[in-house]
Formats: sequence, structure tokens, C-alpha cells
Amino acid sequence: MLAVLTACVLGAAVAACGGDDEGGGGGETKSSSQAKTCGADGKYVIGMSQANNAEPYRERMNDDIKTAAASVPQFEVKFADAAQDNAKQVSDVENFLTQQIDALIISPNEAAPLTGVVKKAFDLKIPVIVLDRKVEGDAYTTFIGGDNVAIGRAAGEHVAELLPDGGNVVEIRGLAGATPAAERAEGFREGIKAVPGIKITAQASGDWLREKGQQQAEALFQANDDIDVVYAHNDPMAEGAYLAAKSAGREKDMKFIGIDALPIPSGGIKAVEEGRLSATFTYPTNGKEAIDAAKKLLIDCATVPKEQILETQTITEENATDVYAKANAG
Amino acid sequence: MSDVDGPGAPAPATAGSGASAGAAPGGRGRGLQMPKGRAQWLELLFRFQSLFGLLAVFIAAIVFSPARNGELLFLTTENLANIVRSVSEIGIIAVGMTFVILIGGIDLSVGALVGLAASGVAVLLMENDYGVVPAVALVLLIGTAFGALQGLISSRLAVQSFIVTLAGLQVARGLARIWAEGQGVPLAYGSGKGHAPESFSVLNERLLGLLPVPALIFITVGAVAIFVLRRTTFSRHLYAIGGNERAARLSGVPIGRIKVAVFAISGFLAALAGIIHAGQLNQGSPNDGAGYELDAIAAVVIGGTSLFGGRGTVAGTLGGALLLGILNNILALNNVDANVQLLIKGLVIVAAAALLTLRSSND
Repeated sequence: MLAVLTACVLGAAVAACGGDDEGGGGGETKSSSQAKTCGADGKYVIGMSQANNAEPYRERMNDDIKTAAASVPQFEVKFADAAQDNAKQVSDVENFLTQQIDALIISPNEAAPLTGVVKKAFDLKIPVIVLDRKVEGDAYTTFIGGDNVAIGRAAGEHVAELLPDGGNVVEIRGLAGATPAAERAEGFREGIKAVPGIKITAQASGDWLREKGQQQAEALFQANDDIDVVYAHNDPMAEGAYLAAKSAGREKDMKFIGIDALPIPSGGIKAVEEGRLSATFTYPTNGKEAIDAAKKLLIDCATVPKEQILETQTITEENATDVYAKANAG
Repeated sequence: MSDVDGPGAPAPATAGSGASAGAAPGGRGRGLQMPKGRAQWLELLFRFQSLFGLLAVFIAAIVFSPARNGELLFLTTENLANIVRSVSEIGIIAVGMTFVILIGGIDLSVGALVGLAASGVAVLLMENDYGVVPAVALVLLIGTAFGALQGLISSRLAVQSFIVTLAGLQVARGLARIWAEGQGVPLAYGSGKGHAPESFSVLNERLLGLLPVPALIFITVGAVAIFVLRRTTFSRHLYAIGGNERAARLSGVPIGRIKVAVFAISGFLAALAGIIHAGQLNQGSPNDGAGYELDAIAAVVIGGTSLFGGRGTVAGTLGGALLLGILNNILALNNVDANVQLLIKGLVIVAAAALLTLRSSND
């Protein structure tokens, strides 16, 4: 009996589908009317689908979007968190589409699984702004991201300046198999080419995590007596390496370089300001730029480039305080 | 006879409850003034816990549904199709989990098996040039064998299934990483090597443009499972083991064989969910399905199945899975903060568990 009733509910879902169909023969007709004409006097709801709120970088991305959107009275931004689950992120976007949002901002968890649903939004004539990680194909309005190879190169060039006579570098890498890790490694090698005496004497994977970075650095420090620079693929791992060096009493003998430079209290800029890291490189969250793009599309009725690659900035002792203050000025 | 408490379950310690509830409850000698109506009402509430819950959440979803141009967004074709689609994977896993929990066990390996099956089928289709049928058959076989092995170890070595499947979770995750070489394997459709056959993308289609194929599979699995639990000797044995394993053993129930079969079913269904996962997302990744075991257990518990075994139904589980799906959907449509959503889902699980306890003490 219960089974029958459950089936009824399922059936009801289907029946409702059938009932709805006359009005909705119309997925398309509806969508063209819902794709509001752009203009300054409209009200626009933007859906922001985040891959994983639990990462500081992504939390900051959300905050940047919130801050930027607060200065645009026509915008209301709704947030969804996929908690690193592709299937959940597909549902998140579907739910945004049900709510008939006016624009979609998405930072995809992975490319292939999100491509379909992003295309669905794009086909409904909803502007789609893709952040940080791409989707496959070209069914999106604009992509805004950083260039990890260029960031790695900037880090390498910085190390070349630090060690004009050559020296030994150990590398603490991001998660094995992750594209940003491969790109940050590749760029770095290009950057240090200018000084042939610089050698990468050892490397290990710290999985992007502070505690893993610390662990791996401890082992690397045991095995290598002569280290001039520790290059980590992100700031938390660089901080972990610093802790490992400190407990070995060697933190003054080497320099620590990270990437990301999040302008938050636990981020890389503060670590540079406080002297633990000697340099870090900004990896833009793209949050402000995403709202700028939405503004152009929805309010100014303008177009945006298909791809915007944001440049990195080198953070050292000299500019850390200023950059931090400026990034949090709103 | 409803399938609620299982046909012919010995229900040793709780004789007289459940199935006899339709009879006058007066014979219980408890609360002599207990109004007959109220007792029956309570009994009804307990028996159809997940159905009432489902109805309540469904009605709440209609009430709280945002509207656009006079149309309730929750009730749109698209949205209802999205809901049944999104619950189908967890629902299929939860059906298998119901069998396991009915015999007083637990299966923590199912989420990792989803990852193993998803990456396995993707690798077979993309890199090994398998056709859809052999690839699906092989992956289902692997899932079934994996589950059966866990059941065998659990019963032969008398290790709790919690431990065996906790180990199984690690093993399956490791195998998935090895098989897919640590990377997600995207599916590209087409013909020839390096392409998956077009027919596999049927998992992204809808029957008659309405019912998503994954949901159709989920409904079929649910219907078969309900039938199995109502009509077969196997089912009597399940409830017997869960009710009182020693008594069941003494009365000649082949406990070892049943355990192997139950874990094999759970492994099979987890692999099926993994294949659907890969089809829906156009990718198989070794990290897929992380945490799905907990969602499945939640659906089973909300469905009124006791974690002590011996009591519960597949129909309840289907209701539990749908309830969670609708809850997720309506919270999202109302843009409830992601963190608050977690709190609300936690509360629903606690409420379901509390009802179960209340039910046991009411017996």
C-alpha cells in the first residue's frame, strides 16, 4: 500500500509534468520573455554557483562578489555551494534555472560534468560568466581566470633575482594530477631558466594542504642540508614548510615562496607582511571582475570578451601592507 | 498484509506490535484509558512515518514555493523532473542499504563503489573500446563481487560489517584511483577508439520528454525490491536475521548465504548508481560518490528502517529518499544559506530517529 502511495507521488510528479506541458510547450518561448531586455532600470537576479565554499580562496571569491554586487542596486546575488560534488553543482544550476535567474556566475568543480548544465543555461539565453576553471566547448558568455603558467613564471623569475649566483630550490607541489599544480610547476621552470645555477634539488606533493606541506618539508629538510629557497604551489603549504624549518631551527637559512596571496588574515599577504614568507603571487578570485562583466551585459547592454585572463601581482615586504589594505577597502 | 513489518517476521521481543496493530490494541494492558483512536493514530503515524513526512514536506514545498507569473516554481515540469533525477542515484543505493540494514548490518563502501563503477565504466568505454553492454555488465559484476566478498568476510570471520565495509571503502577508492590513474575520465561521444558509444548518453535523456531515465531506473529498482521483500522466502530470512540472529540460526536460516547475497545486492546497486553517475555527468572520476553512503543511510533512517535490523521497508526508503530530494530542492529554491541547509537536514534526520525510538518504546 505504501508502495502504491509512493508510486502515486512519483506519478503525481509525472502527471504534473503532463499538466504543465501545454503552458510550457514553451521552454523556449518562456525563456525569450524571461531574458529581460537589458537596461539600467531593470532588476536582475544573479545565481552564483560555487564549487566548494570550504576553501578560503572560494570563500573570498564569494565575498568579492557580494561586495562588488552591493554597489549595484539593480543586482541581487543568490549563492549555492556544491561542496565539491559535481552532481550537487548540476542540481544547484538547475535550481537557479527554475528560479529564472537573469545571469549565471559559476566556478565549476570540474569541467566535463558541468558542461551540459552550463550549456543548458546558455541556450536559454542566460548570460553565463565562468570563473577560475573552464567548462568544455564554448557555450558560455565569458571566462575570467588567472594564468597559472604565468604565475609560476613570475615566481621563478623572482627566485632568479633572489639567487643571481644560483642555488638550491625545493618544491612543494599541489595535488598530483591537478592542472594548476602542473602549470605552476611548468611556469616556475621557465622562470628560473635565466640563472642556470638554480637547481630544483627535491620535490614532494603537499596536496595544497598546510599540514601536508609541513610533513613533506620535514622530510625534505632531513634529506637536504643545503636549501636556499622553498617554492610551494600555494601559501598554506609554504607556511607549513616555514613551520617545519622553524622546528628544525633553519628558518633563517632559507626563503619561502608561496602563491595565491589571499587578502585575508590567514592568507599569504599577511604572512609576507609578518616576515614568514618572502614573497607570494596573487591568484585573482575574479569576483569583482565577474560583477563588472554582469554589469556590462545586463545594465550597459554591452558585450564582453570571451576570455579575460587577469594578471598576477608580486607581493613582497615592500607592498604587502598596501595591497592588503587596498584589497579590503571595498 | 502490508509489507511494513515484513511477512512472517518472528519479531521475537516485540510480538504483537506492527502487524497486529489493526486489531484492538486493548490487549496490551497498558494505559487502560488509552483512547483507541489515539493509539491507532499513533500506530499509523509510525508505520507510515516516511510517507507522512514525505507528504508534509511536499505540502510545505508547495506552500513555500516561490512563484513567477502566478506559477509555482516548485510544481513546474522541469523542477519535478529535476528532483526525481537528482534523487535517483542516492535512492538506488539506499534500496541496497535497506537490505543490509534489515539484517542489522551497514554498508559504508557504497559511496566508494560509486566512484569505482563510474571511473571503471568511463575507462572501459573511452580507453578500452568496450561496447556499452559489456562495459556495464563488467562493472555491475565487479560491484556485485565486491559486495559479495564483503558479506563473505563479514560472515566467515564474524567481523562486524561496519569494519569490513570501512575497509572496503578504502579498497574501492584505491582501486578506482588506480583504474582511472587518479584522474577524472571525461566521456566524449562518437565512434571509434577514444570515444564512448552514443547509446550510453541515454542516461541524460528523458522518457517521453518527461521522466529522466535515471529516475525510471530508480523506480524499477524500487518496484523490484518491494516485490522481493513482500513475496519471497529470502525476505522472510532477512527479517528473521535482523529480528534475532540466534533464533534465526536455530530455526535453520542459512545466515552466511543470506549475508553474502545482501551485500552482493548492495554492491550491485552501488555499481548501478555509479554507472548512472558517469552517464549523467559525462565523466567518471575516482572521487565520485564521496559521502553518498551517509546520504543513503539517512534516506533509510528517515524511511523508518531500524538500524538494529529486522524492521523496515523499501517503500519507506523510497519515501525517505524523495523527502530528502524535495527538501534539498525547496531549500535551494528559497535560497536558504548552504550552512543553514545542513542544519535543517540534520534536524530532519534527528526527528526521524526520534520517531523510530518512540515507536520502539511504544511497542
